[in-house]
Amino acid sequence: MLNDLIIGMAGSGGDGIVSAGESLISALAQDGYYAILTKSFGSQIRGGESSCRLRVASTPVLNPGGTLTVAVVLNWEDFLRFGGELPVGPGTVVIYEQKTKVAPDAIPLAVKPAIVRAVPMAELAMKSAGTLQAKNNVVLGLLAGWFGLARQSILEGLRKKFAKKGAEILQGNERAYAAGLDYADKNPLEGDWHFNPPQAGVGKRLITDGNELCASAALFAGCKFFGGYPITPATEIMQHLQRDIWKHGGSLLQAEDEIAGIAAVVGASFAGRKAMTATSGPGLSLKSEVMGLASLAELPLVCVNVQRGGPSTGLPTKSEQADLFAAAFSAHGDTVRPILAPISVEDMFGITVEAFNIAEQYQTPVIVLSDQEIAQRKDIVDPVDRSRFKLVERLEPTAAEMVDYTRFRLTESGISPLSHPGMKGGSYLAAGIEHNEHGDPCSSGEMHEQMNNKRLNKLNPLKQRRDLFLLEGDPTAEVGVISWGSIAGVALEAVRTARAQGLSVKLLIPKLLYPVAEEVYQDFFKSLRRCLVVEQSHQGQLHRIIRMWVNTPAEFTSLAKSGANPITPDDVLRRISAMTRATASA
Amino acid sequence: MITSTTDCGCESTLVAPAPLTTKDFRSDLKPIWCPGCGDYGVVTALYRALVAIGRPSHEIAFISGIGCSSRIPGYTTAYGFNTVHGRALPVAQGIKMANPDLLVLVAGGDGDGFSIGGGHVPHAIRRNLDLTYIVMDNHIYGLTKGQLSPTTPRGAKTSSSTYGSMEDPVNPLLYVLSYGAGFVAQGVPADMDGLAKMIEEAIRYPGFAFVNVQSPCITFGDPDDQLKIQKTKMRKLAAEGHDPSNWLRAMELAQDYGKELYTGVFYRNPNPPPTYDSQIRERQATLRPKVAAAG
Repeated sequence: MLNDLIIGMAGSGGDGIVSAGESLISALAQDGYYAILTKSFGSQIRGGESSCRLRVASTPVLNPGGTLTVAVVLNWEDFLRFGGELPVGPGTVVIYEQKTKVAPDAIPLAVKPAIVRAVPMAELAMKSAGTLQAKNNVVLGLLAGWFGLARQSILEGLRKKFAKKGAEILQGNERAYAAGLDYADKNPLEGDWHFNPPQAGVGKRLITDGNELCASAALFAGCKFFGGYPITPATEIMQHLQRDIWKHGGSLLQAEDEIAGIAAVVGASFAGRKAMTATSGPGLSLKSEVMGLASLAELPLVCVNVQRGGPSTGLPTKSEQADLFAAAFSAHGDTVRPILAPISVEDMFGITVEAFNIAEQYQTPVIVLSDQEIAQRKDIVDPVDRSRFKLVERLEPTAAEMVDYTRFRLTESGISPLSHPGMKGGSYLAAGIEHNEHGDPCSSGEMHEQMNNKRLNKLNPLKQRRDLFLLEGDPTAEVGVISWGSIAGVALEAVRTARAQGLSVKLLIPKLLYPVAEEVYQDFFKSLRRCLVVEQSHQGQLHRIIRMWVNTPAEFTSLAKSGANPITPDDVLRRISAMTRATASA
Repeated sequence: MITSTTDCGCESTLVAPAPLTTKDFRSDLKPIWCPGCGDYGVVTALYRALVAIGRPSHEIAFISGIGCSSRIPGYTTAYGFNTVHGRALPVAQGIKMANPDLLVLVAGGDGDGFSIGGGHVPHAIRRNLDLTYIVMDNHIYGLTKGQLSPTTPRGAKTSSSTYGSMEDPVNPLLYVLSYGAGFVAQGVPADMDGLAKMIEEAIRYPGFAFVNVQSPCITFGDPDDQLKIQKTKMRKLAAEGHDPSNWLRAMELAQDYGKELYTGVFYRNPNPPPTYDSQIRERQATLRPKVAAAG
């Protein structure tokens, strides 16, 4: 009986592989499982190779996982293009299209899988449905039959999906699915490959992705304006918002470019509204000057940057965590912009709300570093409990404060009441040029020092926000792991496995990446002799940023790979074991 | 004047207050402009136009970019925003979209509007939010001490063109007319009455309105292009019998930019199309009740 199943499928664009993955995750949600579905494509708009991975379990799934339990190969050329994204191990069941004319003992893989089955998928589709397009439903039948997955719910899902396409198409696809089931039943796999049934009595769950949750969180947080420009993999945030923001009394601008998008956001914020933009790497670069304006004029805004492989166009459809330096340091001048990062699809809701709260409270731009995986993978999640979140509104001047209103008054907290057009007595000059307390342009070094103090020190309380850090494991452990973003789910699984194996280890996941909360790291490091930072970038950017601010343990190492190179729980586990052995033998 | 606004936090005024004067719009900040700069005339004309319009200054948002002329919002009592170079228009559009009740003014120089920010102009025009864009066109970069600007004439020797400019200038009037701006005018500080009236008309026009002000730079500009000389060179379009509803004729006249100093309204769309901001209100109104009904 399996408790954790990872399916990887690859084919050409027209094979319907991704569509099969979507049908499967819908059915699994219906049956009360948790799952993560990730899709991967070449960067072609249509056609080309496409693949998906689906990991399913009865308990919340932390990451897309490593080695596949099942590999479905519609053609070998496309499958091999995904390389390490679809790793086959000695325990994998490989199912492939018989038409590829590769003998089961001659498949082009470096390892020998547990089971290899050549299935006449195309032939079954033609015989049952009369069209090759039904191939993906044959695959669904095979999976449902061999692994006992959501047999009835898949069928119901197909009925819903094809209901509008007419009886003929619907019946064809139903027959293709039945043909797959039948083939699986008549040709059983050796061994017990049936999947654990789900927990009984679970409530309704949601299939969603990070971009969708980001949009709904923004509306929940009171966002009244979005300005942006289409860019992969962030575009869906704008697409979701443009349907709904008007209903909330807001508006949205698809601007002529990335710069105009964020400039309009700064304008909307100046006008007194909560406002956001969303982009990816190249857009973040373009927006950095205007974000500096928001820092100096102390205007709240949220900029969601969905990271993809870079620099430049890089790997636009694949995940990476290499924009941390750009987010932290792309502003000119002495500027700190808070940076938050969600660790999962579900977390994107809370992080987006938090970003608005921090922006409004501290009158600052806030960058959310999502990544392509969180943004676009589909997760089965429990419904968001919105009552958990409190909303923060910006500090406005009182009537008394609007007599001789002093926009940038030097206060103890560094936060001064912020008026907006329409408020009588609140008029002031906002500017990118340095100003005195009234907002009048001022180039005195003394005033510049005071204003820098104000703008930088007001963010210090953020460093005490320990709720923006997840801490797990043995508090006295001498071995530790730090990870962030979508990869944190991998580290979390590895640390849990290590502890289940009796290793003493602890894990810190910062969701606030910048400003660097020195004390939180120092406290974490106290018991440590060895620490590993796990992240998806070539340079190991968080690893380096921590070293800029904090005294690290004697051995402070990095597990970092460029985007699109999977980091698996096993990779992390091996490093934890090695660190533990080294610590024990020292 | 009776105002009653809804969503912007503006106070509704039930009793007509004392009429506004230019003092209500002049701030205490002393301009950084050189004595003799054309921009003094622009800000004075603007005060007069705002008196005529009659909206209190806290209901006005005045946005600019970077350059000598972009300092102008600070010299008014409106909510000013001196943004970054070239981005005044997108910032202003964000403000107007977020709060369509505000009177939104945008100003800047020819470099701000037609060089670094030139890409935003066509989109502001086609989007057609109800805002007024005043360009103080002095054919030079003054704040950085006299380099070529997008409207510097070919052959001009400047601190960045010792041997003379090798490029043709942008024609701001043709530029905005060809993208379909609904209101296009050109003024000179030498004709203060005409300029004030023109800005007032631009503000009253329901949609994107553009006023090009030939505002001479006394320090780095062409000595033959100063205020005194403007008075002798200017030709009032109204006096020449131009019909501002005639777009083709406006395009023809605009081609003389740099040769003839026409002042007045080149074009005013007699049938202004719906503004973007009015469409925002409509969309919000149509979609909003559905949420309420859904509970």
